[in-house]
Amino acid sequence: MNGKFMLTSARRSPAQRPGPSAVPGEAQTPPSFLGPGVGIQGALEIDGELVVAGYVRGHIAAVRLVIAAGGYVEGDVVARDVVIAGKLSGRVFAPTVSIEAGAEVEGRIFHTNLIVAQGAHVDGRMPWRPVSYFETLDHLPEIRP
Amino acid sequence: MSFFNRNEKPGDAPQPKAQPAQPQANNAAPKPEPPRQVPAPILKPNAAPTPSAFTPTPTPASPPTPSFTSKAGAPMASVISKALKITGELESTEDIQIDGQIEGDVRGVGVKIGQNAKVKGTVYGDEVELAGTIEGRIESKKVILTGTARMTGDIVHQDIKIESGAYVSGNLKPELNKADSKPVSKPAVAAPSPVSATTAH
Repeated sequence: MNGKFMLTSARRSPAQRPGPSAVPGEAQTPPSFLGPGVGIQGALEIDGELVVAGYVRGHIAAVRLVIAAGGYVEGDVVARDVVIAGKLSGRVFAPTVSIEAGAEVEGRIFHTNLIVAQGAHVDGRMPWRPVSYFETLDHLPEIRP
Repeated sequence: MSFFNRNEKPGDAPQPKAQPAQPQANNAAPKPEPPRQVPAPILKPNAAPTPSAFTPTPTPASPPTPSFTSKAGAPMASVISKALKITGELESTEDIQIDGQIEGDVRGVGVKIGQNAKVKGTVYGDEVELAGTIEGRIESKKVILTGTARMTGDIVHQDIKIESGAYVSGNLKPELNKADSKPVSKPAVAAPSPVSATTAH
């Protein structure tokens, strides 16, 4: 549960963090962070967490992807856990998807668990898939018009 | 009750239950293999579009977006961690730390390339500090190659520092003396050619 713990505790302010600055996993695999001034075009592959506050056009494969407010992703996303607080245009393939308030999403969201906060702006379909679908997802389905 | 909850602040009570039991992230469980389809190269807007300005009422169930300032105390610097591999172009208007792998060009201001990082392509910047590997080219006003640097390719610079231990294979060209517009390719506009005085009338 290391990774999970890290993710949840990273959301708390340091004062709320229990124990002597635990979070052992944090030092080993710090998340990649793409700031607002960063733009990437191409394919991103990460065995860990990626936080996008800038612009990415292309394909993202991650364990966990956070599109921060102000971030914009254009393209397909494959991950286990996706949090969208910024803007996304494309497809998401993830068992767990959370769309925060203020997010703007356009496209398809293939999910098993989905949270959409009040105030999120969602335009598109949200097909449900069983978890096994994501485990056997070798190739992304074609985009049909 | 109070014993177990003593560390909790009142505000903590509605902890997001948004995290269902889920396969551990670090396990090497089957992970969907991304197809390597790089979209057609179209110019990217550099500035990210700003989200809509309206602020809806936050729901207690939705945890706030994590703040990125507290990680290791570093303020909001862009980091390409070692787990990240990028195939494509990267452009940045702010400082950036690269510890992962990049196949493609990097355009930044201050670019730090860490010891385990590997870049195949050209790195443009105002200041490039290399501790890792570049196969390609550096074009930067200021270049620092540390002792662990491994540079294969040419370096175009104004000011360079090479520490003992660095491996360099390529030409060093002390150029870039013109203002600061060098990294970007010169405007394709041809010099104002003598306007055709022979225009037929």
